[in-house]
Amino acid sequence: MRYRVWHRTTYTYDDDVTDSLGIAYLTPRELPFQHVRERALRVTPATEVRDDVDVHGNTASYFQVVTRHRELVVHAESVVDVVAPAHDAAALAQPWEDARPADRSDSPDGWEAWDVALPSPLVDQGPEVQAYVAASLTPGRPVGEAVTELVGRVHADFAYEQGATTVRTTVADVMTERAGVCQDFAHLVIAGLRANGLAARYVSGYLATTPPPGQERLVGADASHAWVAVWVPGPPDGEGGRGPGAWLAVDPTNDTWVDDRYVTVAWGRDYADVTPLKGVIFTEASTSRLDVAVDVAPADAD
Amino acid sequence: MTVLDDYTAALAQPRLGDAPARYDELVAPDGTLRAAWRPLAEAAFRLTAGDLARVDEEIQRTLADDGVTYALPGRRPEPWRLDPVPLVVEADEWSILEVGLAQRAELLNAVLVDLYGPRTLLRSGVLPAPLVLGHPGYARVVARASTTDPRPLLLSATDLGRTAAGEWRVLADRAQAPSGMGYAMENRRVVSRVLPELYRQATLHRMAPFFHALRTSLLQAAPGDPADPRVVVLSPGPHSETAYDQAFLASTLGFPLVQGSDLTVRDGAVWMRVFEHLEPVHVVLRRVDAAFSDPLELRGDSRLGVAGLSEAVRRGTVRVVNGLGSGVLENPGLLPYLPAVAQHLLGEDLRLDAVPTWWCGEETQRRAVLDRLDELEVRRTDGTRVTGDRDTLRARILAEPHAHVGQQPIALSQVPTFGREPAAYGPPTGRIAPGPMSLRTFSLWYGSSYRPLVGGLATVREHGDGRRTSPWVSKDVWVLKKDAAEPDQHLAHQLQLSYAVPGAASVPRVLDDLYWFGRYRERAEDLLRLVLTAHALAEDYRARPWSSGGASLAVAWTAIHRLCPLPGTAPYAACFADLDGPEAAREEAFGAPLDAEFHAVLLDPARDGSVAQSLAGLRACAEGVRDQLSADTWRGFAALDRAAATLRLSPHSHRVEEASGRMLDGVLALTGVTANMVRDPGWHMAGAGRTLERAQQVARLLAAATVERRGLDTDRRVLNVVLGATESVVTHRRRHRGYVKVDSVLELLLLDRDNPRSVAFCLDELRGHLAAMPASTGATRPERLLEELVERVSTVDVRALVAIGGAHRPYLRGFLAQLVADVTQLADAVAALHVAAGPGPRSFGQLVPRPSRAVGRAVGEGAP
Repeated sequence: MRYRVWHRTTYTYDDDVTDSLGIAYLTPRELPFQHVRERALRVTPATEVRDDVDVHGNTASYFQVVTRHRELVVHAESVVDVVAPAHDAAALAQPWEDARPADRSDSPDGWEAWDVALPSPLVDQGPEVQAYVAASLTPGRPVGEAVTELVGRVHADFAYEQGATTVRTTVADVMTERAGVCQDFAHLVIAGLRANGLAARYVSGYLATTPPPGQERLVGADASHAWVAVWVPGPPDGEGGRGPGAWLAVDPTNDTWVDDRYVTVAWGRDYADVTPLKGVIFTEASTSRLDVAVDVAPADAD
Repeated sequence: MTVLDDYTAALAQPRLGDAPARYDELVAPDGTLRAAWRPLAEAAFRLTAGDLARVDEEIQRTLADDGVTYALPGRRPEPWRLDPVPLVVEADEWSILEVGLAQRAELLNAVLVDLYGPRTLLRSGVLPAPLVLGHPGYARVVARASTTDPRPLLLSATDLGRTAAGEWRVLADRAQAPSGMGYAMENRRVVSRVLPELYRQATLHRMAPFFHALRTSLLQAAPGDPADPRVVVLSPGPHSETAYDQAFLASTLGFPLVQGSDLTVRDGAVWMRVFEHLEPVHVVLRRVDAAFSDPLELRGDSRLGVAGLSEAVRRGTVRVVNGLGSGVLENPGLLPYLPAVAQHLLGEDLRLDAVPTWWCGEETQRRAVLDRLDELEVRRTDGTRVTGDRDTLRARILAEPHAHVGQQPIALSQVPTFGREPAAYGPPTGRIAPGPMSLRTFSLWYGSSYRPLVGGLATVREHGDGRRTSPWVSKDVWVLKKDAAEPDQHLAHQLQLSYAVPGAASVPRVLDDLYWFGRYRERAEDLLRLVLTAHALAEDYRARPWSSGGASLAVAWTAIHRLCPLPGTAPYAACFADLDGPEAAREEAFGAPLDAEFHAVLLDPARDGSVAQSLAGLRACAEGVRDQLSADTWRGFAALDRAAATLRLSPHSHRVEEASGRMLDGVLALTGVTANMVRDPGWHMAGAGRTLERAQQVARLLAAATVERRGLDTDRRVLNVVLGATESVVTHRRRHRGYVKVDSVLELLLLDRDNPRSVAFCLDELRGHLAAMPASTGATRPERLLEELVERVSTVDVRALVAIGGAHRPYLRGFLAQLVADVTQLADAVAALHVAAGPGPRSFGQLVPRPSRAVGRAVGEGAP
């Protein structure tokens, strides 16, 4: 599938901002199942945008605006070709216990998986979430099956409710409220998997929503999306070693594996590592308004 | 017997109970002196308890005069503590330690380069990934291929302890922003001064050349080899635990002491705000923890950092010392792995052993810890101690194994330590007894190798477990030379370090602090003079409140309460509520509450406008610009502290006069400090603050005292109070022989352009200060407001002003009210133009009202 992704963030202030610095994670990644054909990031008032590759391999864009402004617009646009990721059935059939980095010093990338197997700032691991996720992790169960069932349970047990949570909501809050948005479900699944020894990362990106039949697609109706990818080590190679591992990406919000409807932008330990846009301003203003418009439209493949 | 004889004799006694066997730094088990002490024996063993008590007192006094403080986290700063007896280390022993410390710094630097670069330690499993990746010091913002810093560790510190067998062991590494060098240098300065005989007898390494080497290394650390590299010392501010250490370092090295708000990022580089323009910064000696260094990419709630600093580091436009990622080295869980790491990175055996440590993230080690919870100390990998019973500890470890270590405590070596009251630590007062000791060492990358400071900072703690809250005292560290011809610090070609001159005050925060320094100092002086005058009246008339003298005392109190309002909650508030009121109430006020109120006005820091509050504000300003002020400043504060302490101890009335007199001396000493400052914009701002405050106070005093008529005799006494409080009695006598009248007083205090106490004089001076500021054009708002005010004051007709309307002088009242309002407006305009630092950083979408800089400073700004 080919998509044109369009993401515009606008901050409006009630007084002049004299200096504004920002970091954006808005450029989709180049991946075996995803090719970025075009990409652009524009900031208004106009300023230089500098891209760098962060510790997780994402594109992090830095900018600073020093012209006085009351409106800041960050506009990202890209054209991306996506196919559904291929998975090695043998790898997914390994017992989930074998996918714990603690037991996988024989995997060449086991050490890197550790980065997302440890607690992180926004992913608190209480006993509740550990027990909730453990119910899917019966002894010896194939890791692919266990994770698939887990996202099904989350989808069934938790209500998708916009406004139920904020960026400061903890996993424990979500466990109590039984409601949240994609980011909360991702954090919850990550917390539970990590608490049980698995490595799981937070993935930020977009989901192409298909319009109801007969209706025109509404520009800006979409939003950024978030899901989870679980580390699956390469199966034993028969010579005492293992090949590199892979990541099984699943979407607890929609109870599905990630496929060609998903555009992957960035991944990290949690939302804080890959916040689409964060920044610091210097101003006497006291209020600001945030408008976000996202559109993921199928584009004609040539 | 002398004190060291006593000490030696006591050691020969069998140890009490289960006290651990410790290595003694003075005496060997066979009763002979350690080699290090032999050259000093003659002078050292002559010291009597009386000598040491005298020396100790001198130390405390010197430290107070130098304003040396230290604060435990979350507590108020307290005086730095220094023991008179140094730790003495012999040359041969030190040279072994030196090699070990240099290797350790080399190794730790290599660990940083690897962990933020190729990460071979993690790939190969030499270091377990969760040990590193799970540590809060691992800074992902600089773990990027784009970032290369070959020397992220420029200055490291290592804490050492000595075992019962006499072997040095590493207790911990400090790499983030090592503190203590300034304290070490100050300790040396003080001890060499108070123990001159002992100091002269020891041929020890002086420390100054090391500071010069540090200066050179910092200058050389500038990326891109600029012609004129600029280094700054980034401090979290005067409330930091080690603010003194930071300021000392900055002024010794001659680099400006800055705070995050003084710096800004433009075009991916760091700049310092200098008046209206920006100047490049090449090296930041960082004393702010990495997590707080950049609100853009690190902790967003930090107001101590510089937004965009990480980006500048990544672009290589600035060198941060030590690197933002260096905190990862402070992980005690690394200790058991360092021998293997040394082999992997350096191909060498690790020379310095650490205290036995087990990391709980690895199963065998975890078991070793869980089996011995009773004898081990449990810490988190961020260094904090975890305490509790076995079950608590076990549960904590099992919940987050990778975040915990167990450490074998060692019985630290003991050093003779002098007992002092009221210091929290120590043997009985006046005696010397053994105390457990640890030693902080410093290593610097200089030229092409790491050079450990030949010396250090020793600390004796009551509890040998290194808990930071444990009572403590520091010691100077004397490393003896092998022969006297050896160059200090083994640095042969070092120039003697002269106190480098810091740059002129220029950043807005510094100007702001100096402006308020001027205001607070004046505010304290004016109130002190008023209190002294009122107190003299009180001594004469407190027993006769109904007399005209008593009435004038009541007016003096009204004036005091204008500057320092009486809270309705004061237990004696009713007594002062209406001093003009019934005789009975007055009589009551003039009894015991009067003394209580004198005390409160002088000493109560919670009381708005009190002398104590002004002095606290004054000190905060001085601490913020420590590198701009002469060392005499702290002698002035020490005198103020002593005067306040005397008064606090004694409720007697005569103490009020003595103490406020001495406080006034202290405040005047601080005037001397500014008088001798270089005439730069900072001095002009201090002057602007002083003149504005003085004009304000004079107008207030006149408004409180002269607009009402209370009868001829009382009025004359009140006018004398006014003259007394404004130090103008003599001048008035010289100008207006004969009677003190309201118009002559107004003439003198409002219009006399030659009287430094008059409003007109203050405004003239202010004009000079404003004209000297770089932002002034002759037509700026403060200058225009000033000219209008000068015009209004100089054209006023005093005779018309004092016209009587009933029991009041209505014109005078109106004029003075307007004057106070105008000066306030002018002061605001001056602050807005010349010293406003602009808003602080805020995260996107999180606009909250900015905390006002004027909190606690706007006292008395209300209507008169």
